[in-house]
Amino acid sequence: MDHLALLLWHALLVSVFFAFLWRSSAVGRRKLFLKTFLIMAIGGTLLGWLMYPFP
Amino acid sequence: MATEKSGKTRDARGGDQKGAAVRKKAPPALLIAAWFIPGLGHWVLGKRTRALVFGVVIVSAFVTGVLLNGELGTPRPANPFSWMAAFACAGNGVLYLGRLLWLNGLGGLIEGIPFALQGGGNPAAAGFAYGNTFLYTAGLMNLLTVLDVSDFASGEKE
Repeated sequence: MDHLALLLWHALLVSVFFAFLWRSSAVGRRKLFLKTFLIMAIGGTLLGWLMYPFP
Repeated sequence: MATEKSGKTRDARGGDQKGAAVRKKAPPALLIAAWFIPGLGHWVLGKRTRALVFGVVIVSAFVTGVLLNGELGTPRPANPFSWMAAFACAGNGVLYLGRLLWLNGLGGLIEGIPFALQGGGNPAAAGFAYGNTFLYTAGLMNLLTVLDVSDFASGEKE
């Protein structure tokens, strides 16, 4: 099981969802999607990396 | 009724009069349909793109959760957190009920309500926690779409 792939898949689904829920224009949706996807993908990876030394 | 400094007139409940005139109540049947089948509420309101995207996203998240051996939340009397999990998962509408029917059978489903339902899943599986997360996320997203349908139907959102 690839943890990173699952993280990215989850981030993708949630980002698409909120982009369509909260924005009506195509540009607005694209911007919100990119922002939320990158925050979740990079933030999740960073958090995982920071937690790595802990048991 | 009071007039604010901005000049807006507000009624006794604090509502904006202009907004109150436009606002109408969303039909309960529409909200139930929106909960029961992900995307149906938006489809009925003519928001076809949203309906398709929400439907695909929610079903994909749910199926991923099931494939990862996640457990559907079902209420347990001794565990208050199970109620929250059950609420989140019940947000999946027909997917939740269908999966419970699949796991428990019709007889088990009827006899098992409310505290003896089996939510499936395998706690020993590597994807168990991930699966639960996908199942809860799918349900909560569907509940948010119900609120969105309510906003569209009441004229709060265009």
